[in-house]
Amino acid sequence: MDDFLQTYGFLIATMLQAGLLGLSLYFPLQAGQLSLASPGFYAVGGYAAAILLTNPAFAGLRDTLGNGMFPLTWLAGAVLGGLLGVVVGVPALRLRGIYLALATIAFVEILRVVALNLTVTGGAVGIFGIPQAFGFQDRWQYIFLFLPLLLLTLLFARQLERSRVGRALRAIREDELAADAMGVPPTQYKVLAFVIGAVLAGLVGAMSAPFLNTWNAKQGTFDASITILAAVLIGGSRNIWGPVVGGALLAAVPEVLRFLADWRLVINGLVLVVASLYLPQGIVGALERLGRPRPPQRPTPAPVSAAEVKS
Amino acid sequence: MEFSQFVQSLLNGLAIGSVYAIFALGYTLVFSILGIINFAHGAVFTLGAYFTYTLVVGEFSNNGLLKGVALFPGGSPLSGNPLTFALATLLGAAGAGLIAVLIERLAFRPMRSRGADPLLALVSSLGVALVIVNLIQLLVGAEIYNFPSDAYGETPPALSFTLGGKIVIIRTVQVIIFAVSLVMLAVLGYVIGRTKIGKALRAVAENPTTASLLGISVDRFIVITFFLSGFVGGLAGTLVGTAFGVAGPYFGVTYGLKGLAVIVLGGLGSIPGAVLGGLVIGLAEAFVPAEYSAYKDAVAFALLFVILLVRPQGLLGRAAIQKV
Repeated sequence: MDDFLQTYGFLIATMLQAGLLGLSLYFPLQAGQLSLASPGFYAVGGYAAAILLTNPAFAGLRDTLGNGMFPLTWLAGAVLGGLLGVVVGVPALRLRGIYLALATIAFVEILRVVALNLTVTGGAVGIFGIPQAFGFQDRWQYIFLFLPLLLLTLLFARQLERSRVGRALRAIREDELAADAMGVPPTQYKVLAFVIGAVLAGLVGAMSAPFLNTWNAKQGTFDASITILAAVLIGGSRNIWGPVVGGALLAAVPEVLRFLADWRLVINGLVLVVASLYLPQGIVGALERLGRPRPPQRPTPAPVSAAEVKS
Repeated sequence: MEFSQFVQSLLNGLAIGSVYAIFALGYTLVFSILGIINFAHGAVFTLGAYFTYTLVVGEFSNNGLLKGVALFPGGSPLSGNPLTFALATLLGAAGAGLIAVLIERLAFRPMRSRGADPLLALVSSLGVALVIVNLIQLLVGAEIYNFPSDAYGETPPALSFTLGGKIVIIRTVQVIIFAVSLVMLAVLGYVIGRTKIGKALRAVAENPTTASLLGISVDRFIVITFFLSGFVGGLAGTLVGTAFGVAGPYFGVTYGLKGLAVIVLGGLGSIPGAVLGGLVIGLAEAFVPAEYSAYKDAVAFALLFVILLVRPQGLLGRAAIQKV
């Protein structure tokens, strides 16, 4: 077991982390909102943790709190993510479909440039030498953080889906105007879903800063946005397991393909192309279909799309 | 700001803005026809620069699988002369156009025939971008290539004059960029606005089903659109490559993102909008004061964010009609 964890533990932790990030994008998507802002909140959460854990200004606090410092960084990451989520979400969620996606890309890029130029974020070099959480000796031990968080998030997501709020979110996803007419205020619910995603991404960022040991502007980039979106779409965007499966899978692909050496990034790209061509419902969606003996389905309206913007 | 500096910034902004404009045209053409954003457009931009470089230099010196393979025995016939360089640029752009057609065939068409979610097209095109960028890196190396300095021939500054005791310099490359972009815009404007092909393109953009009922081969016009899109994208790549002298595998990434800001600023799917958006962003960047130049790359996105909040349809876009 020990050998196994030494070899694959880091990969498993990475897969869990990617699944969590996928879920952070899934929440707004539940309300039909395609937001690519997750890496921005993730980066901010990570910076908050990295600064709290390394900046001399907080040395006294660290001495007093000891290991209690780590939960504090999680709180900081989650709160910062949430606050930023409100600040960005309230104006941005007036936009729909591809416009919202582009606005959130702009948000992520602006954050990246700012992070590259501030002193407190360490500029282009970033922040390094971040102490390991709770004095972990091995990177695989982060499974102890990511796995419980993932389980909690899944539980939360399931409860949310079954609740009144979850039904409201689904109603907004299927038809915002109709939901509005039925007395479901779309803006409040959309912001709520967006902020839940932001809190989760901030929290994951705060846990990931010690995990990765260094934190820099590369953590929150457009590429990251797309990787996460790809994970959600490839896993399946209509079921809580989709983002988890997709995230874990995309995190594992480069490792599994390591034997291909230089070709693996090319193959990685091909995987994205092939998966989006042949698994339009995502892996979980495809499995669901296999399991069900073809129920008579009402044609589901396509999720928010660029085509809709044009009409 | 001194007047001479103002004039200099204005000219710099116009030159780079015109490249943004023709690059963004490629995005907006595809969007107006298919309603998707082709994220591989930045990679096509990079490819354009590489194709032209290959034609002019004919050999790769960096570490890659193609290192030392000479394309032309006895040196490239297309080097060292502004006229042949222009030819190489056109061929390079055409090559980029063919790649764009290939991308459509492999990554978009299979999806279109099944009526898949346009979001998946986004992921698919991103996969294509990954493939292209990493193939470039594998084949010709990750390091930067410099365009030969005499690409346009030995050229003195096109114009330099003194304004209030300061020298204002306009580089020949800037004039060329600006002129080529204007010509390209005029040609495209003519093709789309006045010719039969353009009419058919607009019909397909308006409503593919009706267009096909009217006897327009939708698939063929989508191929034409992708070729045009790749052509202007690749041309922009070469122009930027020669203006700054360099091209590396990740050369197109920033342009790919800025191009998005350009088309949204101008209005998604609007051709005059892409031009206006390109010029606005080029000028806005040129006027960032030197002490804040580190934030220059955020200007386009700040503008994008603001315009989305104030006027989501963009400067020249039509307001989307809400479906009831």
